[in-house]
Amino acid sequence: MSLQPIAGTTDLGVGRWTTTGRRARTFVGRLLGRTDGLVGVVILAFFTVIALFPSVFVGPLEGVLSATGQPLDSPSLAYPFGTDELGRDLLNLTVHGARISMVIGLLATIITVVIGSTVGIVAGYVGGVVDNVLMRITDFFLVLPTIVLALILAPIILDVIGAQAELFGIRSTLLVIVIVIGLTSWATTARVIRSQVLSVKERMFVDRARVIGSGGGQIMRRHILPNVVNLIVAQSVLTFATAVFTETTLAFIGLGDPAAPSWGQILNNAQSAGAPGLGAWWYIVPPAAAVVLVVLAFTLLGNALDDVLNPKMLGRR
Amino acid sequence: MSAHYILRKLVQAILTIVAIVALNFVLFRMMPGSPERATKNPHLTPEFIAAERAKWGLDKPLFPDQLVAFAISTAQGDLGYSIKYRGQPVVEVVADAAGPTVLLIGIGEAIAIVVGLWLGARSGWRRGGVMDRIGNSLSLIFYSMPYFVIGMPLIIIFAAGLGWFPTSGMTTPGGDKGPAEALFDLGRHLVLPVTAVALGLIGAYSILMRSSIVETRSEDYITTARAKGLPDALVLRSHAFPNALLPMVTLIAINLGYVVAGAITAEIVFNWPGLGLLTVQALDARDYPLLQAIFLLIAVSVVFANFAADIVYGYLDPRVRA
Repeated sequence: MSLQPIAGTTDLGVGRWTTTGRRARTFVGRLLGRTDGLVGVVILAFFTVIALFPSVFVGPLEGVLSATGQPLDSPSLAYPFGTDELGRDLLNLTVHGARISMVIGLLATIITVVIGSTVGIVAGYVGGVVDNVLMRITDFFLVLPTIVLALILAPIILDVIGAQAELFGIRSTLLVIVIVIGLTSWATTARVIRSQVLSVKERMFVDRARVIGSGGGQIMRRHILPNVVNLIVAQSVLTFATAVFTETTLAFIGLGDPAAPSWGQILNNAQSAGAPGLGAWWYIVPPAAAVVLVVLAFTLLGNALDDVLNPKMLGRR
Repeated sequence: MSAHYILRKLVQAILTIVAIVALNFVLFRMMPGSPERATKNPHLTPEFIAAERAKWGLDKPLFPDQLVAFAISTAQGDLGYSIKYRGQPVVEVVADAAGPTVLLIGIGEAIAIVVGLWLGARSGWRRGGVMDRIGNSLSLIFYSMPYFVIGMPLIIIFAAGLGWFPTSGMTTPGGDKGPAEALFDLGRHLVLPVTAVALGLIGAYSILMRSSIVETRSEDYITTARAKGLPDALVLRSHAFPNALLPMVTLIAINLGYVVAGAITAEIVFNWPGLGLLTVQALDARDYPLLQAIFLLIAVSVVFANFAADIVYGYLDPRVRA
């Protein structure tokens, strides 16, 4: 099968590793040498550490019962970010929100990129009727206002799988957001990947593989996929930005999980508590700034990756 | 422009709308409280269920009979009745809310197109200059902000803090106002929501226009115009700008769906009585017929906008008329 090593390639392993290593170093160097790449990586590193170990920094997530502050207190020494209407520490909520927002963003990105890449590779490689049908479906999802579709889909899916269900310890309310974002935002990725596949499949090594008798599935996995993986990485990072953005919007509209407050959910709470009209800026600025920084960082990094990884873009911009 | 081109785009648009109606039909079968589920009540006799199913046409096959019946009533404007606004046809409920949304998005979109395109063109023309650095950074930041994230600080600063504008709503309730006074009142309420929508859009349009003008700048006809000795501002205005505008036509049309969806959040923040606020109310009340009608309206508008963009694009750019 395709996973078996082909004779004669194993002893080249060492040599190949070193070239890959050198290529990786120059790649990282070029990425971090750009202002946008560096800023993106620094911001994301910061939020990733926070998302991985929120309790180390601020202790466990405060609930209604464990809240210690006064309601809607402005920032003080004890509560540097102030408190919400239930007296919860906003620093605590914002830090824990990082994990929730970014996990949802990550899972939604994985779904989006898997669907998008599969559709793009199959459509581009197989061509003909299959390509036509897949691209009409893609165009349909490209035109559809995804957030509005998500608003209808989310309560229906929630009703079908039940509000109490859990998967990998993630409650179904959050799971629904993940599924909905994934199902509605793969079209762009599919389009981008397809156009790259169209040019890759004309290259000589694809013909060679076909001549020695490789099947369509094997060619797509072993020859097409490795050649579009750069693009998939850049697309994933850009998709992550959109996913966090969409999650924030959906949670703000009211599809979030109050028991697992993402940044969008905190902003939803702030809106319900009338924080803007009361001038309670400390309730809004921390989660809002976090969202903007993360989306900005992913966008910067995605654009930088797109330029660095895409050989056609060299020397432009 | 050839009739063939228009016809092809028209067929595509109609097929998309058919697909949207079909999707709406599928959603209608899945949603809670659908007739399929209501008849699963164990207390009903099989005869009663059969009679009811026949009465509502549920005994016929889903495809094509039920789907066709659904499509026909959709085409006739019969989208069912709202659950939250008891008994009112959803079409009426949606029509009442569409006006304020069109007003808000229309003005916001117009401002964003003018300012965003201007900013993007200026940034891209002097790439790497002071204007580009500041303009592009600001654009990226606004591009990363959902409308409500822009709207909330606006309320805190200009409404709650300085008290220049009202915090929410479209009109000040009560009191007899003359036409001029009413218009001024509406204007005062419009300023902040329109600013939020416009700022959210300016980022996207400016970024896209910038890359479009950067691309156009390297074209041969720009070099020719420069070589002729035309002043820089004139080259930008009459040679680069019109050509860089072409891809923007499509982008603005495709973005329309996202604009409407984004406006939903701006309406929540400013308590603006449009489709967005209606969507949230429908969502809270799980008013599925209403949600469906809103989805249908927005989706069909976006398809029409795309069709219009294709026609405009074909008219502007001779190369795509084939």
